[in-house]
Amino acid sequence: MSARVTTAVSAGVARWGFIAVTVLLIAFFATTEPSFRTLDNALGMLKFIAPTAIAGLGVALAMTVGGIDLSVGASAGFAVSIAAWTMVIGNQVGGVAIATVLLGGAIIGAVNALLVVVAKIPDLLATLTTMFVVVGLKLILVNGQSISSRMTLPDGSTAPGVFTADFLWLDRGRIGPIPVPVILFLVLTALLWFVLEHTRWGRALYAVGANPEAARLAGIRVRTYRAAAYIGCGLLASIAGLLLAARIGQGDVSAGNSLLLDAVAVALVGVSVLGAGKPNAWGTALGAVLVAVMITGFTMLGLPYYAQDFGKGIVLLVALLFSFTFSRRRVAVTAGSTASQ
Amino acid sequence: MTRRPLLLLAATSAAVLTLAGCAQSSAGQSSGGAAADAPAASAAPAPAPFDGDPVEVALVRQSGAGDYFTAWGSGAQKQAEAVNIELTVTDARNDNAKHASDLEQAIASAPDAIIVDHGQTDTIEPLVHQAVDAGIPVVVYDLALNDPTGVIVTSQSDESMAQGVLDQLIEDVGEGAQVGYVSATGFAPLDRRAAVWNQVVEDNGLQQVFSTGKVTESTATDNIPLVDAALKQNPEVQAIFAPYDEITKGAVQAVLQNNLQEQVKVYGIDISNADIEVMITEGSPWVATSATDPAAVGAAVVRTLALSLAGELEEESVQFPAVTITQEFLLDEGITNVTELREAEPDLLLDDVVTADWLPAVS
Repeated sequence: MSARVTTAVSAGVARWGFIAVTVLLIAFFATTEPSFRTLDNALGMLKFIAPTAIAGLGVALAMTVGGIDLSVGASAGFAVSIAAWTMVIGNQVGGVAIATVLLGGAIIGAVNALLVVVAKIPDLLATLTTMFVVVGLKLILVNGQSISSRMTLPDGSTAPGVFTADFLWLDRGRIGPIPVPVILFLVLTALLWFVLEHTRWGRALYAVGANPEAARLAGIRVRTYRAAAYIGCGLLASIAGLLLAARIGQGDVSAGNSLLLDAVAVALVGVSVLGAGKPNAWGTALGAVLVAVMITGFTMLGLPYYAQDFGKGIVLLVALLFSFTFSRRRVAVTAGSTASQ
Repeated sequence: MTRRPLLLLAATSAAVLTLAGCAQSSAGQSSGGAAADAPAASAAPAPAPFDGDPVEVALVRQSGAGDYFTAWGSGAQKQAEAVNIELTVTDARNDNAKHASDLEQAIASAPDAIIVDHGQTDTIEPLVHQAVDAGIPVVVYDLALNDPTGVIVTSQSDESMAQGVLDQLIEDVGEGAQVGYVSATGFAPLDRRAAVWNQVVEDNGLQQVFSTGKVTESTATDNIPLVDAALKQNPEVQAIFAPYDEITKGAVQAVLQNNLQEQVKVYGIDISNADIEVMITEGSPWVATSATDPAAVGAAVVRTLALSLAGELEEESVQFPAVTITQEFLLDEGITNVTELREAEPDLLLDDVVTADWLPAVS
């Protein structure tokens, strides 16, 4: 019990340190850059980061069961091409494209689950493999080409369909003054938070991540929960892909490539926020907001992109220090199939 | 309790580390501002809006990486500084979703004008119109627009690039020659070059014996097997048109590995130090290319914007002409890199294109 005071101090640093960094950065940019402190800019930043944040929520979900998903970027890219293919080549309406994409995401998640849970391949390796297979499969499906509205097909005819307005609304639309991706971002964050913190399923997911054996002995169906986490992750990644597709307005084959590392980074940052010490929804969202703040702020300052990468790296480092070094709590996140004990 | 000071120390150093990053960034900004305040010595007094505070312009780039784009960016930056423009540059690193976000955020920050460098039509065009509707002047470079109303469209003239080098081709091999074509579709500049090619083929009765090619992450390497196969099937071909230097390099390699460099001439487009090296290598089949100087083009795009903001731009579409460079010219002049080429061929500098007495070209 004598360790309680020390724990309180380190918990204070771990809990508030990260928030302080974010607030300081926002204050700094708001003071130096007049165009930073506008509502338009705030909404713009949230919109810009929404796909990364949503993919990050997926990674956080995979992390809750002690896993990791390296295929989120590939799944999002797959979603972009599938959406384009469904609408432009298949001449289907936006709703069909969305349903197809979500189904695709769930299937990729299910494949990951099969490899990890049934085939017992370590998470890192299984999802890495899936990443390559999915990227390759996508390119095979579209013959390596970006599908654009009314494109000329190999046989010389014109593709029948276009990106429909209702589909483009997913990224370009607004509900009231709020861009649709921002709403999706907030709703999905709240939903994941609710599931993880306020349902039996959430407690079970964390229990599986913390100690699968103990969870099994407690009567939790470990394999089912791990599979569910991967399928949920695949779904979230494909939603991120839907936003990318609507933003780009064509089946850009390179879309999603840059998503993976940012998504993993924001999920990792999320572990440290508020001293949670475990993957969580609001922390991930805040991590994403911080990345958006940095990229936008640094750009307004006129720094090149490599300075932004450097800044991202430093912030991630600080976040990891908060969660692993200053926090006395055991941290239940590892990039592999076994949680730290 | 002993951990307490240690923790505070660590937390402080983390904060200092972050703040140090910030301090560095504001220093970088102020030095940029100082450079922008220094006008070019030879310029006449600038008209409004260039006679007061720096004019804020967002340069929204699809990519800033690679020889071409780096040179383009530094040319634009130099010209901007000379004319009292403060450029805020974003680089989407070929991530089209980020390109859209960058443009959206540029619009939200309400600059005096926006330059959009490259981009996908479906992605960028709606946002360009949004900017115009918001009253922000927009200049686009090498971006195809379905509806260019209210937008100043600039491009390096793909027509003049292709035409110049194809005139050379006809001069070398004559009408009715057997020719091959290596390119890809779906890229605006390549599509414009293809239109010129098709016209030249028709007008001169050329027999196109093969058409292949693709653009990938390693275009030069990936085109070698394609052209190799085409050459094995059609060894009688006299000339190959490969209108993009990465593809040209692949075609050159394929000709060399089939030992056909005596019979087959290759015609390319674009120039770089590496391209010049390939062209002047003994026995190289690459006999002519067509080029603009990216630094000069970047500067000319900024001048176009400046003229337009000053109300002195007459047209809404500006094309920067290309220069045809032959292997013979490079060898005769002993040119081994782009710097030497620029000296030997002053037309590349574009220093009489979109200029004014208050707006000389930087070069």
